[in-house]
Amino acid sequence: MYYNNKRLALSIFWIILGAVLIWLGIAGEIDGTYFSGMGGAFTAVGVLQTIRILKYRNDEGYKERIDTELNDERNNFLAMKSWSYTGKIVVLIEGVGMLTAYLLRQETVVQVLSYSVCLLALVYWISYMILSKKY
Amino acid sequence: MKNRIEELRGKRGIRQEEFAKRMGVSRQTISSLENGKYNPSITLAHNISSFFGLKIEEVFIFEEE
Repeated sequence: MYYNNKRLALSIFWIILGAVLIWLGIAGEIDGTYFSGMGGAFTAVGVLQTIRILKYRNDEGYKERIDTELNDERNNFLAMKSWSYTGKIVVLIEGVGMLTAYLLRQETVVQVLSYSVCLLALVYWISYMILSKKY
Repeated sequence: MKNRIEELRGKRGIRQEEFAKRMGVSRQTISSLENGKYNPSITLAHNISSFFGLKIEEVFIFEEE
């Protein structure tokens, strides 16, 4: 079962967190616009997720469709491939950004982008080491 | 890798939706398999072959690239 009680609890957590942020924003305790907007987004995600969970539990056809989609090996393959492309494209964009920032003499931007590329490379290397031990 | 899924499924008169349901995958997966766009895992290949009562190599034709 994909939509288990843990996911329901997480959805309720998002709703509560969102409501608290909205309330704090309205009460003027925190930066109203920014955090209220964030709170609104959390609440919306929580509500939508809760609706999906309730539908999953009550609608047998929907449950079957979701379970098939989640267990479908081609779907999983596509998701993995998409993440792989995402990583490569991000590194490429950061590389181009780094060069552009260097030419424009934006040292801080160059530094931030360099650290980001290094961090990505480190995460990739650690993931590779862990996975090579596992498989 | 070529395969005979469409031919074998056609002989048995099973629609893609029904076949997908029996294999526990989506209809798009069956469609991609039949078009040769996607190569199945060994588990799915085994399940498909077992469904037709054939050996894996009788359903999936391996071609060296």
